[in-house]
Amino acid sequence: MANQTASVESQFLRQISKKFLNWSLLRQIMSFVLFIGLWSIIVVAVDYFHQIPTPKAVFLALFELPITVVLINILKSFFRVLAGFFLGIVIGFPIGVAIGYSRVLKNLIFPAFEMIRPIPPIAWIPLTVLFFVHIESQIIFLTFYGAFFPIVYNTMGGIAEVDIRLPRAAMSFGLERKLMLWKVILPAAMPQIFTGMRLAMGITWILVVAAEMMANKGGMGYYVWYNHTVMDYPHVVLGMGIIGLCGAICSIGINFVGNYFTRWRRIF
Amino acid sequence: MSNTNQESEVVFKNVGKMATFKKTQTVILKDCSFTVEAGKLNVLIGPSGCGKTTVINLIAGYERPDLGRVLINGRPISGPSWERLVVFQETALFPWLTCYDNVMFGPLARGVMSKESAHQETVKLLTKVGLEDFRDKYPSQLSGGMQRRAELARALINQPEVMLMDEPFRGLDAMTRKLMQEYYLKLFEETGATHVFVTSELEEAIILADNLLVMTNKPSKIKKVIEVALPRPRDWSMASSKRYLDIKAEALELLHEEAVKASVASGKLDVDLASGYKKPE
Repeated sequence: MANQTASVESQFLRQISKKFLNWSLLRQIMSFVLFIGLWSIIVVAVDYFHQIPTPKAVFLALFELPITVVLINILKSFFRVLAGFFLGIVIGFPIGVAIGYSRVLKNLIFPAFEMIRPIPPIAWIPLTVLFFVHIESQIIFLTFYGAFFPIVYNTMGGIAEVDIRLPRAAMSFGLERKLMLWKVILPAAMPQIFTGMRLAMGITWILVVAAEMMANKGGMGYYVWYNHTVMDYPHVVLGMGIIGLCGAICSIGINFVGNYFTRWRRIF
Repeated sequence: MSNTNQESEVVFKNVGKMATFKKTQTVILKDCSFTVEAGKLNVLIGPSGCGKTTVINLIAGYERPDLGRVLINGRPISGPSWERLVVFQETALFPWLTCYDNVMFGPLARGVMSKESAHQETVKLLTKVGLEDFRDKYPSQLSGGMQRRAELARALINQPEVMLMDEPFRGLDAMTRKLMQEYYLKLFEETGATHVFVTSELEEAIILADNLLVMTNKPSKIKKVIEVALPRPRDWSMASSKRYLDIKAEALELLHEEAVKASVASGKLDVDLASGYKKPE
């Protein structure tokens, strides 16, 4: 009897705590606190880490951030990322569709792509100087290049993996062949096409930072690199944080668009 | 578009069909001749992997025979057409379209109906299959049974002359399956047209069929056509009638013979020859 009341009470308590204390959320907040805490401790505790700025130093550096300079750099990086990304779509998407759709074109194009693809995009930096005179074009080319392969490969893969019964059904219903791509193949391949775009967006940010560090033409990569050369490490870390934030904003954006176009997959 | 379903007859004349799977050539159909009777529910039954889906693909026009001819009303089948529509194994609804848009797809693709009359017809059919409240749901939001019914509606709106049902109720749970069978029987008995229904379930086959076409193992042909001749409208109470039991016994014996042959041919007691089975010379 006593046992029973106890269990009822504890159940009651559990319900209350469920209602007012979201443990899951608390643990997630703890994750941030732990991260900052570990960062502070390691920087102080490990002897040769003493040049690494503490969280506090980074926070204080926030107040002396040259806002206009940083904003201009952010815009420059954003412009380069988006230019490369959209060029990647404009050029990569049709190629992906073509080699996903046509065996002949795939035979002609794919093997050469397979040869080039394993070369990390950054290794192209020396050659880009030969392709383009303007440094701006060189940077955009690199970001484009980073976006290109994920878009091509995922578009191609998405199209190749469309369930054959779908175009067959559409054919039976009398859909004109020239509409097949637009009405059936692309919608069916859309989830993987957007996977490619998400990957591409991530890679363009990696490349824009690398290119800007080398190019001396502004942008957040340059901002980080410049502060490194003047040994202002709190601002280096701040710059890193801003780059991360920009990348996150871009991936949220692309996710939003992607989820809209593939909303039929997510609703349950 | 006419409102009466023209009843079409499909004839296989000495059809041969090969398939290449992992560089192994397999003869699927050999010298296969039979008639799909017009306006009847013709059920194809046979051991799994015997080429039932190939027969469906040949009638649908997705594949062509390597030998022999497949004729519809005396004309050879030249390609896919809305006159011969398939309801596939599992669902092949367009997942990015709502239930309603899936059903509208056929009429709009061919441009044979005005949007308004297609709309009316769609609403009518969705009501008929009991999905009027689910018209704006995507296929992923529907249960297995609902998906099959949506697919039936998507095919029926085109008033096909031949309906090809490729194990349409496979993967449904026993209760849903039974409901779908009753549902399908009602639809068939109301709408007519020529139906080809593929299944590997004998009881389902007998209760649905006018003609039961028993297939052999690969290389397949039709071993025997059994006329079921149970009265329509059908229901499951007929499963205890003498006629039903006689047919069941006969068909079981035919299928058993095939199973034994298959196990002898492959050298093991495994009836499933879905892949990798080479024809013994």
